[in-house]
Amino acid sequence: MTAAERHPKLLYWAGVALGPLAWGINLQGVYALAHFSCETTKLTGTIMSVALAIVALAGTAISARAVRRGVGAEWADAQGGGPRTFMAWLGVGSGVLFALVIANQLAASLVISPCLR
Amino acid sequence: MTVMAEERELRDDALNGLELSTRLDRIWRTPPGLLGALMSVDHKVVGRRYIVTAFTFLLLGGILAILMRIQLAGPEKTFLSADKYNQIFTMHGSTMMFLFAVPVMEAFAVYLVPLMVGTRSIAFPRLNAFSYWMFLFGGCFLWISFALNVGPDVGWFAYVPLSSLQYTPTKRPDVWAQMITFTEVAALAVAVEIVVTVFKLRAPGMTLDRIPLFVWAMLVTSFLVMFAMPSIMVASTSLILDRLVSTRFYDSSSGGHPLLWQHLFWFFGHPEVYIIFIPGTGMVSAILATFARRPVIGYPVVILSLIATGFLSFGLWVHHMFVTGLPQLGAGLFTASSMLIAVPSGLQIFCWLATLWDGRPVYRTPLLFVVGFIVIFVLGGLSGVMVASVPIDTQVHDTYFVVAHFHYVLIGGAVFPLIGAVYYWFPKITGRMLSERLGRWNFWLAFVGFNVAFFPMHILGLIGMPRRVYTYTPEMDWAHLNLLSSAGAAIFAISFALLLVNVLMSLRAGTLAGDNPWDASTLEWATSSPPPPQNFDRIPVVKHRDPLWLDSASLPVVAGLSVERREVLLTSLAEAEPQIREASPEPSIWPLLTAIATTVFFIGSIFTPWAVLWGTPPMAVTLIGWFWPGGSKEDEQ
Repeated sequence: MTAAERHPKLLYWAGVALGPLAWGINLQGVYALAHFSCETTKLTGTIMSVALAIVALAGTAISARAVRRGVGAEWADAQGGGPRTFMAWLGVGSGVLFALVIANQLAASLVISPCLR
Repeated sequence: MTVMAEERELRDDALNGLELSTRLDRIWRTPPGLLGALMSVDHKVVGRRYIVTAFTFLLLGGILAILMRIQLAGPEKTFLSADKYNQIFTMHGSTMMFLFAVPVMEAFAVYLVPLMVGTRSIAFPRLNAFSYWMFLFGGCFLWISFALNVGPDVGWFAYVPLSSLQYTPTKRPDVWAQMITFTEVAALAVAVEIVVTVFKLRAPGMTLDRIPLFVWAMLVTSFLVMFAMPSIMVASTSLILDRLVSTRFYDSSSGGHPLLWQHLFWFFGHPEVYIIFIPGTGMVSAILATFARRPVIGYPVVILSLIATGFLSFGLWVHHMFVTGLPQLGAGLFTASSMLIAVPSGLQIFCWLATLWDGRPVYRTPLLFVVGFIVIFVLGGLSGVMVASVPIDTQVHDTYFVVAHFHYVLIGGAVFPLIGAVYYWFPKITGRMLSERLGRWNFWLAFVGFNVAFFPMHILGLIGMPRRVYTYTPEMDWAHLNLLSSAGAAIFAISFALLLVNVLMSLRAGTLAGDNPWDASTLEWATSSPPPPQNFDRIPVVKHRDPLWLDSASLPVVAGLSVERREVLLTSLAEAEPQIREASPEPSIWPLLTAIATTVFFIGSIFTPWAVLWGTPPMAVTLIGWFWPGGSKEDEQ
């Protein structure tokens, strides 16, 4: 039994939820705030993207904590049978992947002025 | 259930062998005769009908493609009129997207998912039957309209204001919009069934990390359907309302906005690409593992990729609208997402290549189609990254470059795996093998024909040939590439003719397949070919991700389900622990009658708003009949 199975209340799925959620908020938020950002500070989008990338990575960290003793088994063993460890693993990957997407969007918001039509 | 009833009920632990099989067969069998066929709720019967109907629409859509290629083979040809050409390209796109690509993937899921998760039926089998009838009636509605010269002619995405009453004062856009409603109702129904089947009907022990990759792919696809398709239903219904009762959703002079259409359409339209592609990846994973003789490397990575692709697919729709004058920052954000979706797709491709590399691949026809898929899809992905970039997209928007790109993605990403899947699962569905020799001819003709047909379109687009033109002048210098493209299309068509010949010949005289002719690892191969009405005499217990490779000779089973009525075993979501026995619905004529009533209502409502008044009571009556509790065995007990 892995750590995740022994402690079912651990938020093993956190990365699966937080990564896409942070990315969705970033996509819509930066887009929706473009006008506000143009009229006030141009850093709105940057701040939002940085904060949400941290949220996505926090999901990864929580999932990684839940899974840390089960990771090797999932990789080495094709038998399966540890769904919580498995979901935690997906959470680790998902948080990183969506943080990467947010970082890419952050790069866009740094390069392109929100005032450009 | 009372103690007395419990005592009286005969369970499958009291019977064995032929006696058990015969009893279960009698309970689960579709009733004989025409009425029985119309009442069938067997997922395999419905799945087979779905597959055959979807391939029929592929044939029809393919004939339209050939007509277009004949027209474009040379400059200033008069084979088709401009009006007929408009109808044909619209019908081709609509048929392929709504009547073939999505339904055929769901059809395979309807047939295979219950077998692959080791259960006796799909969840909500009557809804499943209803879904098929709605799909059939919607497709017939579109094609009969086309035969009556009312075929839609506004493109498969029916942009307003072209599709508004002012610019198209015929019923053609209404036919398109209502066909959407039919097919989306059907698709949503199947999506719900698949999600519930995967979540609640899995065999004991099939934990989340033991679910076959094809089933995972269909699970993600089903969620995509559930979140994407309501958007297009809202769009098509509001278009009908604009045209029928003068609402103003898309009329900018009255506070509406034409771009609302594009947002609603593409919020559905981009995930639609993945609704078609993700099942293809599931098929690839299934075929690859079997023919590489080892499990797919990176099972968690493949599933992570499927889930991430599913989420990201909802954040790309604006890249179809780069030329509509959006804020540049917004376009930049969607460019970022569009490029980054290549990451999960790339991860999957690396996993597949590693599997081939590390395995002992046997290059039978299904694997050839998978290799073809990898080559073509990577090319389509590369041009996809190009058009994700605003400057390039602005240049090639609405040109043949885009036509080439999406055919590479959709045919490479979905049709090649699908044909591979036909060769792979045909023995399970029919009990007979397809000819390997014809299969190899089929593959090479398809691979060469496809590339000859579609690669020149990249160049045609780059030198300026726009989409949807019914002819062109000799001075444009597009003639040679178009002729080459048409020749490729002819070769591609011959490959499909060969597939049809192979299927018909093999149905009559193909080699008998046996239960597991490929020595595959998943549960659908643990039962006979074709499977009996009850799928499995006893529900298998899963102890490994590849249960038949662990020990195919002695698959453990659970017993205790009724042999007096249709019953399935419900299990928990994550661990797949047995929870409860539940009755499964009997065959019924009500799903068909409900579909007929819904069809009358849908078609009536493009002609008169009063259809809401006279069209809904028959639907209510049929639904009451459907859900009427009296007389069914499950309710008596």
